[in-house]
Amino acid sequence: MKKKLLASLLVVAMTASMFAGCSSENKKEVTEEATEDVATEEVVAEEAATEEGVSTEPVTLKVFSNLPDRKNGQGLVEQLIIDEYMAENQNVTIEVEALDEEAYKTKFKAYAMDGMPDVVSIWGQPSFLNEVLDAGILTQLNEEDYADYGFIPGSLDGFKKDGKLYGLPRNTDVMAFFYNEKLFKDNGWELPKTYEELLALAPVITDAGFVPVAMDGGDGWPMAIYLTDLMIRINGNSKDIISNAVATGDFSDPVFTKATDLLVQTADANLFQTGYDTQDYGTAMNLFTNGQAAMFYMGAWESSMALNKDIPEEVRTNIRAFTMPALADGVGKQTDIAAWNGGGYAVSEASEVKEEAIKFLNYMYQPDKLSKYGWENGVGMSAQDQSPYMTGNETELQNVFTDIVNTATSVSGTPLNDCGLSSFKAVIESEIQSVSNGTETTEEFLSALEASCK
Amino acid sequence: MKKLYSNKLIIFSLVLPGILVFIFAILAPICLSTYYGFTDYSGMGKATFVGMENYKTLISDEGFWMSMKNSLLLAVGFIVIQHPLAIMVAAILDKLQGKAEGFFRCVYFIPNVISVAIIAYLWKFIYNPDFGLFNNFLKALGFEGKINWLGAEFAIWSVLIVLIWHGFGWGMLIYYTGIKNIDPVLYEAASIDGANASVTFFRITLPLMKPVIQVNITMAIISALKQMETVYLLTNGGPGNRTQFAANYLYQQAFKAFKYGYGNAIGVIFIIICLVVTIFLNRAFQTKEI
Repeated sequence: MKKKLLASLLVVAMTASMFAGCSSENKKEVTEEATEDVATEEVVAEEAATEEGVSTEPVTLKVFSNLPDRKNGQGLVEQLIIDEYMAENQNVTIEVEALDEEAYKTKFKAYAMDGMPDVVSIWGQPSFLNEVLDAGILTQLNEEDYADYGFIPGSLDGFKKDGKLYGLPRNTDVMAFFYNEKLFKDNGWELPKTYEELLALAPVITDAGFVPVAMDGGDGWPMAIYLTDLMIRINGNSKDIISNAVATGDFSDPVFTKATDLLVQTADANLFQTGYDTQDYGTAMNLFTNGQAAMFYMGAWESSMALNKDIPEEVRTNIRAFTMPALADGVGKQTDIAAWNGGGYAVSEASEVKEEAIKFLNYMYQPDKLSKYGWENGVGMSAQDQSPYMTGNETELQNVFTDIVNTATSVSGTPLNDCGLSSFKAVIESEIQSVSNGTETTEEFLSALEASCK
Repeated sequence: MKKLYSNKLIIFSLVLPGILVFIFAILAPICLSTYYGFTDYSGMGKATFVGMENYKTLISDEGFWMSMKNSLLLAVGFIVIQHPLAIMVAAILDKLQGKAEGFFRCVYFIPNVISVAIIAYLWKFIYNPDFGLFNNFLKALGFEGKINWLGAEFAIWSVLIVLIWHGFGWGMLIYYTGIKNIDPVLYEAASIDGANASVTFFRITLPLMKPVIQVNITMAIISALKQMETVYLLTNGGPGNRTQFAANYLYQQAFKAFKYGYGNAIGVIFIIICLVVTIFLNRAFQTKEI
């Protein structure tokens, strides 16, 4: 009898513990109902306040950013604007979650399944945006609202689908070789006027004990942009060839073969550091900023290096840039630049505070915010007209990039790796390591690209 | 008490939490994975049923087979290099006694208490061709010291060294505990009979360690198949797919290439392989026991 009683007690205890969670939920519901009346009264009071012109309802905006460094460059600019917005709108709290690019893209997808933050970083390129727009994750923006925001003509195109606008571009990205002018002068190296001269410079710089070009080959995308840059030198432009190839899955155009062979030849000439194919962004950049490398192939978004106090002064003040030199027998000129409008922002369709999120987005893009602060902080080129904010106190590097853009004879648009779907991007960014280091032939590389488009 | 445990209601209530955890944390995700493995789901939007398409693609996917080959290589590395070394070190530690025993036990276990991220970056620096420890050591010996340890030629071996080194502590500690459980009387008897150290090791230590070895080897093979974090942080499978491992490849396909359906198909094959290997190992060990 005792045992039966014990058994029954055990079962009751277990069942009770299992449903404990549910009962606390129920209690919570009752409490919520009870507090609802109080909340309703508060809402009425807040609405009255709003009618008087002052919104007091607390709003929390979640911003998901791909700029983890909040003290330098674009991350600093973004944070400055966020702080200003919160100061001007006391009821708004902005929570920032910032991850670097690869981690950001992975988490973006996880968020896409459930609970996307209100304002997010995006890329106006098919490799990122196509699937995102197909899934209806981003809210549509009214293009007419931005007529007087000074966006450079064509810069919104990558952020549109079927003529509808879903995001706004932040930068005009220009790819270039950053170089240490002092190192060049001290060693008597001439700036290469042709690509052949650049290759010939590699052994000279190596013999002097420096790395010729620091390359972030571990990530794959800088080399894919390098390949696009080479295609422009060979053919004059790459846009049509790339879009046709991605659409048809046919990479037999000789420009692809020539450019890939040239990339292999470049790697064989030891223009890049040993182990470039496995070294990441930070390692490659450190080689340059520590004065161990003479050049660094990267985008204009790194022009804030010139103002970064973490970089030794003798390097920081001597950073200059030049675009990919022309080939002796190529069609493209040095002024045909690899440039595009890539990164930007959008608002989540599922945002519960969409109105406030769009208000914040529009605040960021007021011409005297992202564009002005970006320029003042030495951050690359904006996607908006920056000329009103030129003070004459720009860094040498900013002036160099302004000249590059102003004298450009053509602009590449989206680079090769971002022209297809993300599956194509994953393949090219992995295979380009294999082809450049010689473990795969040009034919195998191009076949892999073809297969990934089908 | 016996009657208490024969009460079906009691048995049911005791087993239920475990069953619920199994259903929701293991069975349901496997079923969902199997379902998504038959779709072209990108991770966002709608999923369309594509039948066996993902599995057909998988058969001719070089990246996948490279990752399976590397997982197998790692498993062999664990069995042939890591575990024999771990047993020997555990046996030597047991004989050391005193403070030295505790000191070396700690030293060998240290890599296991350090975060994987730190381990990966530590080795990235050691392998760096420009300022890494290995190349500087070679330079000190008079060599050129320009070896690209994580380049296509050496990458997989460099990664295997890290993984074998990192997992060494666990294996050694389990073997060490196993050796400590062996009755010292046996060693005394062997010593009286005039057995030397190697005879004692091969005739007493090793046979009595058989159950521990079985568990350790099964765990080693499963961990080789599941390898992900260190590889992701050290090389992310590169250059190309040279150091690709199954779990990392699955992650790349699902989250980087936005091929969630394909990633799930890899996951399903992965589960099947893990199950087959576990069953095979259990059978192999059972046969030996007879």
